[in-house]
Amino acid sequence: MPFLKDIEKYKSLSIVGLEKNTGKTECLNYVLSRLRDSRKQIALTSIGIDGENRDQVTQTHKPEIELNEGMMFVTSETHYAKRRLFSEVIDVSNQTTSLGRLVTAKTIHSGKVMLSGPANNAEIIRLIADLKEKGVDLTIVDGALSRKSLGSPAVTEAMILATGAALSANIPQLVFKTQYVYDLIQLTEIDSELKPKFRGIENGIWALDESGEVKDTGISSVLMIKKEKDKLFQFGTDFFVSGAVTDQFLDFLKNQKQVNQIRLIIRDFTRVFANPETYYAFVKKGGKIQVLDKTNLVAITINPVSPDGYILNSDELKLALETKLQVPVFDVKRIENAVS
Amino acid sequence: MQFRKAISEIKGLQYLAEELDLQSPMGKRFLLDSEMLYNETDLNIEYDLTDKVIQSIESDPKLIADIQSKLSHLRDIKGTVGNLDANLILDDIELFEIKSFAFHCHGILNLQKDLKQEVIGLPNLSGLVDILDPQKSGIPSFYIYDDYSEELAEARKNLRIAKSENGDSEAKLEEIFDKAQEIESRVREELCGKIRVFANDLETALNQLAHFDLLIAKAKQAIQLSFNRPELVKESTIYNGMFHPMIKDELLKQKKQYQAIDIELQKSVCLITGANMAGKTVVLKTLALCQYLCQFGFFVPASQAKVSLVNRIMLSVGDDQSELNGLSSFASEMMNVNQMVEVSQSHENVLVLVDELARTTNPVEGLAIVNAVADIFYQNNTRSVITTHYSGLNTYFRKLRVKGLDKDFGDQRITKNNINSYMDYSLVEDNTGEVPHEALRIASLLGINKEIVEKAQNQLNMNASKEEIL
Repeated sequence: MPFLKDIEKYKSLSIVGLEKNTGKTECLNYVLSRLRDSRKQIALTSIGIDGENRDQVTQTHKPEIELNEGMMFVTSETHYAKRRLFSEVIDVSNQTTSLGRLVTAKTIHSGKVMLSGPANNAEIIRLIADLKEKGVDLTIVDGALSRKSLGSPAVTEAMILATGAALSANIPQLVFKTQYVYDLIQLTEIDSELKPKFRGIENGIWALDESGEVKDTGISSVLMIKKEKDKLFQFGTDFFVSGAVTDQFLDFLKNQKQVNQIRLIIRDFTRVFANPETYYAFVKKGGKIQVLDKTNLVAITINPVSPDGYILNSDELKLALETKLQVPVFDVKRIENAVS
Repeated sequence: MQFRKAISEIKGLQYLAEELDLQSPMGKRFLLDSEMLYNETDLNIEYDLTDKVIQSIESDPKLIADIQSKLSHLRDIKGTVGNLDANLILDDIELFEIKSFAFHCHGILNLQKDLKQEVIGLPNLSGLVDILDPQKSGIPSFYIYDDYSEELAEARKNLRIAKSENGDSEAKLEEIFDKAQEIESRVREELCGKIRVFANDLETALNQLAHFDLLIAKAKQAIQLSFNRPELVKESTIYNGMFHPMIKDELLKQKKQYQAIDIELQKSVCLITGANMAGKTVVLKTLALCQYLCQFGFFVPASQAKVSLVNRIMLSVGDDQSELNGLSSFASEMMNVNQMVEVSQSHENVLVLVDELARTTNPVEGLAIVNAVADIFYQNNTRSVITTHYSGLNTYFRKLRVKGLDKDFGDQRITKNNINSYMDYSLVEDNTGEVPHEALRIASLLGINKEIVEKAQNQLNMNASKEEIL
């Protein structure tokens, strides 16, 4: 598979599922099996409690992660005790999660383990740095449910997007929802000389005036837009928003007469919390969104099997996505069968 | 009294505790659990150790830094050692903790050999290291190594072969794994039996390393803040160049100087008078802080100190949250003073410090209370300091007065921002029993409403002329 070559370029990779049971775990297992002969030291972890709870909710098959010999992994004490492999303890964290402290270990024999890593992005960032110190070349982070923010370039360098029948059992609907996320990931980056101007900004709405200077509009948050709309256009139509971009905010911008001149700059794609309909309406009217940092999307994988047993036609889905998105799409169920 | 409790009562002590450069979690625990010391021998042992570390820092700072770095890697494995001692089977994580601890302890033991003089005795854990590192890798990571049992090595080899051949069913592989894991459990049990003999040594090492961590932190702080070793004496407590580190630090941030003071406390009562803003309260707080530091085995913030040990320090500075217990500020103060008086009457060896006794009531009765309480301390030879604004104190009490605004100001205008530089904070013996009348002057310097100052001044003038007529 071509995307595996790309993976080895990066120091960290996240696997983000658009919905539960979109085949994240199969995708991860596939990636790992392909990395078996890699000379790189690979480490694995997940964000938050993954696996167990979710299985108890949906009662669906949820495979554990199969690790190769020599790979490292980070999981909680609770899950470490339940591991089905032999491994060497490398380190134990000082801080605890709800499942105990985090254990960093190296596998002696291949085998299965359940992953439960740090609870939030800040700790994932710290963990990745720590693993790097321990000689890890590539850290792969399995994203838990609704953790799109993990794909932020501030957290991991690259991401794989897992989508599938669980998101929608209707192919056009599934393609539409996936395309929306894809479009956000593809948002263009601003000029690199402009980037330092926005890096330190923590909150509020800021404007970039004609002379290239960054000005505070005095609007403290996009939630205040209705009350302070008179201040918005005082310095022009280029804006930087450090926090979330909501439906309400995009709706408001869409209805302004200057909409076709508006350029909205955000940190990265994970900051958009608007519905696809709102976003596309804004874009259609001529509004533009750009990002400070673009995400490296390595691949899109699909799982045609939905948790309620519905199976989409894999070829049809793959073709529909590829035609629409113009990127290679991989069926994790099929590639997994092909290797084992 | 535990240090834990003392820092909750004395802000200056908490400040110093937070500033300590402690590296390990057990160093912090050791400090918080440490008990106040009441005998000279124990304290001198602690001061000697601190002195040794100070000398080591001065002669070989790099080595101490290396030891600190090793200390920073230590984990508090008190619970794990407890489990080991209680004959429980440890899991791999606990065994890892013990191995990693033994490694670092051994490292510190070796580093300490390079010091001119040994500071802390550490048990030799090389026997434990040998058991937990059968491959002599020198790395603290751990698992149940194949080296422990041929049977285990064989079982794991079988598992590896079965996996690579790919021919066996999932169930069969699980079965092989389970068997290997069973053997592993047995080996782990044997291993725990073998290392159990080290439980006592580990506990000793934990305590000694925690103490070492604290000693280095204390020594560094003493150097950094110019603290000095107190000499323990039986008679008067005498401080030369005494200062309050937290306030000194705060003034330094504002680019202001702190004036250190000298003070002697005999085994009797001593009253401190002086203008407002003259630092009387600070003197009391510093005295309390120094006494605590001294008796918790720290050096003290003074250029020279002779300290007489006490069994208890009793401080009343009137910032109690009296509203919370439903008492008025006067009632709450009286309850506090009552305790002090009772202790004085029973001739307990204490240090009593009272800030502006009876200031919340009328001056006539207030003065009477001050004289009464001071008299009790005087008669019972209780080492005590009371600050007051009242005139008319009994003549036989020893009195110290803050010099106050005695300096020559030149053409400078004094304001609340620079008053600090014109105030002379030093204490002088004073036999008059009169107190300085500078309240109005200082109030006007603080820039309060002119009308208040003028009206008050008129009132004073009227009183004065009435007295003249009479």
